Amino acid sequence: MNKIRNGGKLTNGQVGFLLIVPGLAVFVAIILYPFVDAILMSFTNRSMLSPEYDVVGLTNYMKVFKDPYFGKTLMTTLAFVLGSTILPFTLGLIWAIVLNQGFRGAEFLRGVTLVNWIIPGTAIGFLWSWIFNGQYGILNSILEALGILETGIPWLGQTNTALLCVVIARTWQMLPWYMAFLLGGLQSVSLEQVEAAHIDGANNWKTFWKIILPGMKQTAILVFILGLIGNLQHFDLPWTMVQGGPARATTTLSIEVYTTAFKNWNMGKAATVGTIWAVLLAGFSILYLRKVNDPD
Amino acid sequence: MFQKTKPFRAFFWVALVVIGFFVFFPLLWMINTALKPTAETFSSYFFTGPLTLDNIIHIVTDAKIMGYLKNSLIVSFGSSLMATVVCAFAGYSFSKFRYRGRKFVMGLFMMSQAFPQAILLLSIYTLMNKLGLLGSYWALLISYVVFTLPVGTWTLKSYFDNIPDSLIESAKIDGAGHWRIMTKIVFPMAVPGMISIAIYGFVWSWNDLLYSMTLVTDSARRTLASGLVMTFLGEASTNWGYMMAASIVSAIPVTIIFVFLQRYFIQGLTAGAVKG
Repeated sequence: MNKIRNGGKLTNGQVGFLLIVPGLAVFVAIILYPFVDAILMSFTNRSMLSPEYDVVGLTNYMKVFKDPYFGKTLMTTLAFVLGSTILPFTLGLIWAIVLNQGFRGAEFLRGVTLVNWIIPGTAIGFLWSWIFNGQYGILNSILEALGILETGIPWLGQTNTALLCVVIARTWQMLPWYMAFLLGGLQSVSLEQVEAAHIDGANNWKTFWKIILPGMKQTAILVFILGLIGNLQHFDLPWTMVQGGPARATTTLSIEVYTTAFKNWNMGKAATVGTIWAVLLAGFSILYLRKVNDPD
Repeated sequence: MFQKTKPFRAFFWVALVVIGFFVFFPLLWMINTALKPTAETFSSYFFTGPLTLDNIIHIVTDAKIMGYLKNSLIVSFGSSLMATVVCAFAGYSFSKFRYRGRKFVMGLFMMSQAFPQAILLLSIYTLMNKLGLLGSYWALLISYVVFTLPVGTWTLKSYFDNIPDSLIESAKIDGAGHWRIMTKIVFPMAVPGMISIAIYGFVWSWNDLLYSMTLVTDSARRTLASGLVMTFLGEASTNWGYMMAASIVSAIPVTIIFVFLQRYFIQGLTAGAVKG
């Protein structure tokens, strides 16, 4: 009866489902299908150069785990991810505290700070390669003028400094992002509690650790995990600044997958590294989802 | 929030000067280098010597780079528009409709940024190659929608959650159909959210390097990010003046959009990611 009275009109549930079809289609085409396909690919010797391929089982995984470079890639990724999250998080938090003091021009500074984050990674990579340039870079000029260095250092040409340079560039790029969130976190802290702590004789240091930081814990943890995920994905800066070099010093997992697939055309191996990488990412992502779904 | 004690004042000023220098000097140095005449590129004066627009003019009159710029505009506008519509549909659906599988699909969308992009590219590349889309804008247009999907859907869902059900019910009683309710009542109330999602999508697409390096094989369709990388990284000797000028040119559109729409942008950014 109901259906007949509806006269061919869609039910609420059907309309709701129709509305997610475009999103779902894009999701399946660009994420789900490629993801499953890549995992399957990791068990083959597929290459861009020929259409035919065989299933090779775990051969790719054995090769990757035996590859002496793979351990190094993991360590580089770990160092990059931790450095590029902790550094901008800390500086972003301090910057948020400074800008939260509400002096004249604080609003303006906040806006201008965000420009660093909004501009393309390519431009940022170019800029920092120029700053770190061994021959004419401004960093060397400043350090020489201050008498800290006698001769310039080829920052990006040395294996022991290149990764640090990329981390610094990434810090510069992401500091505004952390600042924006943490500023929001700071402003959500109850001022009454802070005042009460001060009246009870707690100094700034103690108030910060006991009241302010716990008060913005939810935001801080979320931003930190999102930062980790973003850095685990990051590609632009190590690529534009040094293309993963020198001597693989800045080759993170994303650079490794890209070069293996699109420079060496070894899809099977790239997919294998990528699958291992996805497992790592999944760990962080589960953390994130649990935090987001946490009602408090 | 903090008592203005001596140590706090010291902390404040040191942080302001040190982080301020770190945050603002590099961008100024970029502008400074771009404005120096070629002969002065390597001298270290800071806006105090001769300045010229030659480098900028060289870049904006370079037909190849302007072609990249045009492609970036097409791809970013297109994908941000598509993403906003897709996210608005999905957000509305998640907010106001109940059906089987809803929670599951919400979870899927939420996770979409957590898949490693480089590994997805392996199959997207193969797929787009098979479909013959690598020479067109479509491969990028479709792929970029995904960047916005989680944040966009969630931000707009939270806007729609604030619209009272009774408003929709009374429109239904007045005889309005689903499409009319959505386009005349629901979407107009979420315009600020839609603007922030459109900006978010635009900036993401504009700034992407990885996808644009792989999913466009026709150099006439290259976007700015990958175009500049191909132009400058392949050169034997780098012209830093041109490189900084090109960087500025690539940064201008997103900066302008950001300056005008900052309010929406920060709102959308924080609402989407923190509220979940």
